[in-house]
Amino acid sequence: MNEKGSYSDVLVIGAGIAGIEASLLLSNSDRKVHLIEKTSYTGGTVIKFEEVFSNMECSTCMVAPRQQELLQDKNINLLTLAEVEDVKGSSGNFTVKVHKKARYVDMQNCIGCDACFEPCPVSLKNEFEEGLSERKAIYVPCAGALPNVPMIDTEHCIRFKGKDCKACQEACMFEAIDFNQKDEQIELKVGAIIAATGFDAFDSKKVPKYGYGKIDDVYTAFEFERLYASNGPTEGNITLKDGKAPKSAAIIHCVGRDQKGYCSSVCCMYSLKFNHYLKSKIPEIKISEFYTDLCIPGKSHQKFYEKMKETGVNLVRVKELEVEKQGNGMAVKYNNGNKKDSIQVDMVILASSIEPRDDTSKIAKVLGISLDEYGFLKEEHPDVSSVTTSKPGVFIAGCVQGPKNIQNSVSQANAAVGKVLSLSK
Amino acid sequence: MERKIGVYVCECGPNIAEKVDIDKVLNAVSSLEGVAVAEKYKLLCSVDGKKFLEDEIKKHGLTHLVVSACSPKQHEQTFMEVCENAGINPYLFQLANIREQCAWITEDKDEATEKAIRLTKAAIRRVRYHSSLEKKEIECNPDVLVIGGGVAGIEASLQLASSDRKIYLVEKNSSLGGLITNFEKTFPNMKPTSDIIKQKIQDIAENENIKVFTDAEVEEVIGFFGNFEVKIKKKTEENNVVEFDVGAVVLATGSASFDPKKTPGYGYGKFDDVFTALEFEKMNSSGKISLKNGKAPKSVAIIHCVGREEKGYCSEICCMYSLKFACYLKDKIPGVKVSHFYSDLCIPGKSCQKFYEKTTEKNVDFIRATDVEVIKQGDKINIKYKAENNSKNSHPVDMVILSPAIEPTSDTSRLAEITSISQSDGGFFAEEHEKLGPVSTSTDGVYIVGCAQGPKNISETIVQSEAAAGKILSSLVPGRKIEPEVKTSQISESFCIGCKTCISVCPYGAITFDETKKISVVNEVICRGCGSCTAACPSGAATLKHFTFNQLYQEIVEAVQ
Repeated sequence: MNEKGSYSDVLVIGAGIAGIEASLLLSNSDRKVHLIEKTSYTGGTVIKFEEVFSNMECSTCMVAPRQQELLQDKNINLLTLAEVEDVKGSSGNFTVKVHKKARYVDMQNCIGCDACFEPCPVSLKNEFEEGLSERKAIYVPCAGALPNVPMIDTEHCIRFKGKDCKACQEACMFEAIDFNQKDEQIELKVGAIIAATGFDAFDSKKVPKYGYGKIDDVYTAFEFERLYASNGPTEGNITLKDGKAPKSAAIIHCVGRDQKGYCSSVCCMYSLKFNHYLKSKIPEIKISEFYTDLCIPGKSHQKFYEKMKETGVNLVRVKELEVEKQGNGMAVKYNNGNKKDSIQVDMVILASSIEPRDDTSKIAKVLGISLDEYGFLKEEHPDVSSVTTSKPGVFIAGCVQGPKNIQNSVSQANAAVGKVLSLSK
Repeated sequence: MERKIGVYVCECGPNIAEKVDIDKVLNAVSSLEGVAVAEKYKLLCSVDGKKFLEDEIKKHGLTHLVVSACSPKQHEQTFMEVCENAGINPYLFQLANIREQCAWITEDKDEATEKAIRLTKAAIRRVRYHSSLEKKEIECNPDVLVIGGGVAGIEASLQLASSDRKIYLVEKNSSLGGLITNFEKTFPNMKPTSDIIKQKIQDIAENENIKVFTDAEVEEVIGFFGNFEVKIKKKTEENNVVEFDVGAVVLATGSASFDPKKTPGYGYGKFDDVFTALEFEKMNSSGKISLKNGKAPKSVAIIHCVGREEKGYCSEICCMYSLKFACYLKDKIPGVKVSHFYSDLCIPGKSCQKFYEKTTEKNVDFIRATDVEVIKQGDKINIKYKAENNSKNSHPVDMVILSPAIEPTSDTSRLAEITSISQSDGGFFAEEHEKLGPVSTSTDGVYIVGCAQGPKNISETIVQSEAAAGKILSSLVPGRKIEPEVKTSQISESFCIGCKTCISVCPYGAITFDETKKISVVNEVICRGCGSCTAACPSGAATLKHFTFNQLYQEIVEAVQ
């Protein structure tokens, strides 16, 4: 606490790209940061992508050095498996209660050798991989996760259901497995808060006409990202459920746009990126992109679009569309306003809208700020600043404020830091 | 000085020990020249391991340290800190990666051991040629130059000034405010623009920390992050050159509009009553929307994407401001017919679609069209176009508004050169990294915000201004010294042939040419040690500290022997 009675430490909620960038920038100015992350790993959504538009940079190569820096930064207190439960006080003087779940693996002792996974008798679907592969009850979400320390999923671990299993502990050479770890209640005193909790994808099952969940080989964008990821369930081989490579694919834009009532601003670009993903793995594949309006704003995006067009993608502007099972594959039946037609494909990828994460309303309540009409955290006034909120000292950054690309998320993260640093002296 | 090299091999639990016969490695290296001690340890990165290393360095009086363990990405920093704590220069250390690049990927134990020996020997041979490198500290000036007095520059100035930074705000026009002062309202909230901007201009005027220069242009920016010398020229005064020092520069020079005369098919400049978006904004702000003959238009066509093909990018805001124009028209001229001619509606973000839906409720036509052409038939303007069903149509109107693309201002190249930054797609200032460095540039301490970096709306512009303020407030702290990169390039005076190849490849503008000596000179404060000049130099004059030719040669020779 300084002489004016305010705290200089900052709370950052969410260790995705916005939270990471905000934390590192704050630390650079010698602020102590408490970075609260709900999951066991950092990197958020961006590390699920193999490549990012528009220059197709390897996403993990882009973020990993920043994650590494974060872990080594002495100003940053990273609390994983942690959630903010209560915030009291006002700008300069917040008291924050954090609930930190036990990992049951010691962060200091564990060297990330993975020896504990194999002997674990439990196997279940890996959520990080959108259920496309299995994981154990002790696990890291994917190869290369940082911190590279597994966690025990007590909901599925048989030891936590009363069995006397010590398989992982016996396999560990470093005495890193600690079944006696306890959840912690941590109280923090901070001067400012940045909420950067990210987004979720619209649930494509809510629009049955796309066949998701009913027809095999209809994938969501996130599932497809993991299919292409070299550290994903297929090690980057794009295959159908039967193991074969698709000969044709349809990418459907704007899934959920009507339901959400806004354009998610990144889907056209990532759909074009998917075209690149498919062509680079299966050069002879036939791709059709179904869209209504192509939204590729910004100085660098059209060039990418033109490059993709050169690869021979069939761009089909449609008014209505549905996916039906037909033969071994699917028929995408559409109406372009002039005529009805149909294209037969092996694989369908749905470009789902961005929507608020399900815990956004809880975060709003805890922070004492409001949600906008779509359920994102509400900015104070979009024409003044999109990172300030109705509550002084509480700032927002990234997709928790609304759909946006990585560049704009990082800009907001930097902007929120600017606001924090000019708050108090 | 006698070298006393300590070599320590980490077992990394079973990770290395199971695949590599560590005793064999120790045997192979312990009698090498300069090696004073060779030991193994079960986990060197642990708290005990680091303590062990520190004690060993002190006990044996080691001068150099070699650790054979994991990837430098994992623990190079860790062991460099150990060196510092034990009192030896952290650059007299080398890490051999015998885990990721050996134990984890080599099936056969003998082969893995052989490889580990070579990697360790290579590290030992390399470390013999290492030199101590010292961190430097430089005083910095916390003041900031902001170029451009539009909304981006105003926001950046105000925010920085609120943190007690002294700001020099340089605007080439006679007043502050920029483009936005021409707008009556802004989308999507349709709040009067004057509410936003007038108060801000007033705040600038009243702020003691901000020194404003209008009718002025920046002539010269010399120096580096923390220490720039700036020269500006005032256009209206006799004694017109002003010089001052700053630590950082914010380029907020805004944008210009594509000139529709370059696309003659739209009739701009040929026909009366074909207006550009900016002309229409001004006309609307004047209070009266009228044709050249003074009458109010009964029908108006708004043509989107003017110049998009020529520029090669979507300007992001034209769809939204075109929708705003429909609102202006419907509000001021009851019964006016408004038709949008567009190809793709680009209304990204959470608040835009609702605005679009509200506009459509006002009985506005949206015509998806290609091959749009504006012709004159008699007194009437006629829009000829190809509709979605490929039919050729025409649409007579009284007035045409063109929504031209956003393009860089005419002085963008000049300012890029002055500040040693590059231009990217479309000629806008290039950001340091498309994703992670949107407001920083290849020159440390030079930031780009608003439409000077690329087309964007007001809200995104303000975010970038705040972001640049965040970057500056975080890295340029009054009283704090800055630490430039240690592993920098150096150019040998006697070897340099003055070909300037290095200058052309340096992405940071760190190399200048000494005209008297006819050689290239590295500014070590700006250099970030990327090695581009070292690789490109045809005479071997450029070398990179800690990656010198000899260091690399010795390491490789040992590894492939």
